[in-house]
Amino acid sequence: MKSNRNPGRKRDSSTLTKRLWDFTGTAMLNLFMLLFLVAYLSPLPFMVIASLTPRDQFLNPNAPILPSERVKFNYEGKDLIVYEVPTEEGIRHLALYKPSRKSSLFIDPKNPQAGPILWEGPWRTLKSVYYFKPTLDNFKDFLSIAKIPLYFRNTIIVALISEVGVLLSSIAVAYGFSRFRIPGIKYIFFLLIATIMIPSNITLVPTYYLYSGHMLNWIGTWLPLIVPHFFGSAVLIFLLRQNFKSIPRDLDEAAMLDGAGPLRILISVILPQSIPVVTTVALLHFFYIWNETRLSSLYLGIAPNLQLVSFAVQRNQTYFFTPEALMVGALVVMVVPVIVLFLSQRFFMKDMIVTQLEK
Amino acid sequence: MDVANQSRLLLKAKRAKPTRLQQEGRIGLLFLAPWLIGFVLLKALPILAALVFSLTDFQMLSPEATTFVGLENYIRFFRDNEAGASLFGSLEYFLLTVPLEMILALVLAAIFTSERLKNKSLSQTLIFMTSIIPSTSIFFIFLGSLQYAQRLILTPLNLPPIEGNGLLLPFMAIWSIGPGFLILYSAMQSVPNEMYEAARVDGAGPLARFIYITLPMVSPAIFFTLVINLTGAFGGAVLLDRGYILNFSLSPMENYINSTMFLEADLGYASALAWITFAVMMGLTLILFWSARRWVYFPSEDRENEI
Repeated sequence: MKSNRNPGRKRDSSTLTKRLWDFTGTAMLNLFMLLFLVAYLSPLPFMVIASLTPRDQFLNPNAPILPSERVKFNYEGKDLIVYEVPTEEGIRHLALYKPSRKSSLFIDPKNPQAGPILWEGPWRTLKSVYYFKPTLDNFKDFLSIAKIPLYFRNTIIVALISEVGVLLSSIAVAYGFSRFRIPGIKYIFFLLIATIMIPSNITLVPTYYLYSGHMLNWIGTWLPLIVPHFFGSAVLIFLLRQNFKSIPRDLDEAAMLDGAGPLRILISVILPQSIPVVTTVALLHFFYIWNETRLSSLYLGIAPNLQLVSFAVQRNQTYFFTPEALMVGALVVMVVPVIVLFLSQRFFMKDMIVTQLEK
Repeated sequence: MDVANQSRLLLKAKRAKPTRLQQEGRIGLLFLAPWLIGFVLLKALPILAALVFSLTDFQMLSPEATTFVGLENYIRFFRDNEAGASLFGSLEYFLLTVPLEMILALVLAAIFTSERLKNKSLSQTLIFMTSIIPSTSIFFIFLGSLQYAQRLILTPLNLPPIEGNGLLLPFMAIWSIGPGFLILYSAMQSVPNEMYEAARVDGAGPLARFIYITLPMVSPAIFFTLVINLTGAFGGAVLLDRGYILNFSLSPMENYINSTMFLEADLGYASALAWITFAVMMGLTLILFWSARRWVYFPSEDRENEI
C-alpha cells in the first residue's frame, strides 16, 4: 500500500481505482466504528453529568438536565430565589420577596429600586431560573470517606500478588493439559470444567469453615483472597488451554529435537506465541480482583484496614442510594482499570507475536 | 532368587527405564500439580460438604437441628414450580443474550484485526470500559439516560415513550461484551499472518478470509466463550463479576438459589438446587463438547484428546 502512495510513480487507472477503493474502505470502516462507539457509549454522558450535579437537583423534576444552580438575588441581605414569572410583558425573571398562597410580592433584580411587584397567582407553580454550574462536591464527599486511598493501595497489593500466582500456575497447568499424553487426562479436564460450573455460593459455607478458626484461621487476612489463586483459576486455565492447543506442534517437536526440555519449550516456544491471550488472562484476573466484593465482605469484614476498594465503594453506594453517589462511586472505581487497560494495548499488537518464520 | 525379589527387580528396572509415554505422562502431571493440589485441598472438601448438605435439612440459623432427609430435597424440586421456572428462565436468558453478545463481539474483533482501523487502543478501551461499571450504577445509568432521551428527543418530537424494562436485558448484555471481545480479539491476533497472505495470493477476499481462516482458527476461543457464558447464565463461574449487591445476579436460577440460601437460610434445599442446576449445565456442556468435534479446530494430530 505504501508504494502506491509514492508520488514519483506514474499511476495507471487500475492503481487509481485500487487506491480509491482502499480509501473508501478505510473511511467506511472507521466511520462505522465511530458510529458504533457513539451509540454504544451514548448512556455514558449521564454518568458524567450526574456525578457533577448537586444533590438536590435530582429531587426537582423541573430542574434542567445539566448540573445547575438556582439563580439567586441578594436583596436587603437575603438571598431570594429567581423565578420565571408570566406577566403582561411576557415572561420576566423576578426574585420572590414575600411568598403567599394566592398572590406574592416580587423584586425585579434589574431594577430593585422600583420596589416590590405584586403578582396574582400561586407562586409554587412557577419555575425557578437556573444557571449552568457543575460541582465537584460529590467527588469531595466521596473521597472524604475514610481511607479510600488505603483501600486503593490494598486492592493493588492483593491484585498484584495474586496476579503472579494465577499467571504462573494457570500457564503451567494449561500447558500440562494441552501438550502431554497423560492417562485419564480427559477425566481430569472434565473435573476442571465441573469446578467452573458449581455455583460458588453453594460452597460458601464449607469454604468459610475451611478458612475459619476451626481449620486454617485465615479470617481477617488477605490469604483467602490470594492463596487460592496460586493453585490456578479453572476459567483461565481453560482459556489458556484452548489457545495453547491451537498452536501447531511442529515447533515443539523441532525444539525437542534440539534438546529443549518441556519447561524450555513452554518458555521459548509456547509463550512467545501466546502474548495476546496471556495479556487477556492477566487483565481478566486484575479486573476480577478489582471488582471482587463477595469474598472481601466475607473475610475482611472484621479487618477494616485491609478492605478492598470495590467493596468499600459498594457499601457506600448502598448506603447513599442516590444517583450522584452511585455515579461518582462507579467513576472512581473505574479509573484504575481503564488506565491499566489502555496501557496494556500494545501487548495486543500483531508485531508483538513472534511468528513461526522468525523462530 | 525367589519370585518376590525377582518382581521387585523387575519393578526397579521398569522405574529406571520408563517408556517415553510414561515419562511424558509424569512430566505432564507435574505441570498439572498446582491445580490438582489446589483442588484436593481447597475445592474437594467444600464440594463434598455441599453434596452432603443437599441430603439434609441444614438450616443456617440452627445448624444443630440438622437431620438427614435423604433425597427429599431433590424430590421437593419437582414440586417446586418456581424452581423449574427459574431453570427455564436461565436457559431463556442464555438464548436471548449470548448469541447477541457473541456475534457483536466477533464482528468487533474482526474489525479490530483490520490494519485500516485507526485509534485502536482508545476504541478498545472504550468498548471494554462498560464491562467494569458496577451493576448498581448500571441500572441508574440505563434509567437516567432513558429519561434524558425522553426529555431531549422524544418529548420535543412528540414520539411515544420507550418501554425500558424490555430493553434492560439486551442493554446489560451488550455492555458486558468486554471480556468476550478481548478473548476473541486476542485469539484473532494469534492467527499467523502467513495464512492470510497465502489466502490473499490465492485471491480470497476479506469475507472469504474471515470465514475460511479466522473463524476456524478462533473456534477454540468461541467455544470457550460459549461454555463460560452458559455457566454464567446458570450461576456458575463468570468472567467478570460486576459485584451485585445482596448477591443479586442476572441469572434467574442463581437468584433463586441465593434467595433460598440467604433469605430463607435453607442451605439443604439450596444445595440440592445447585446440584440439579449443575447436572443440567453439565448435560448442556457435554452436548457442546460433543458438537465441538465437528466445528472446533485444533491442529494437533491426537484426535482422541481433542475437544
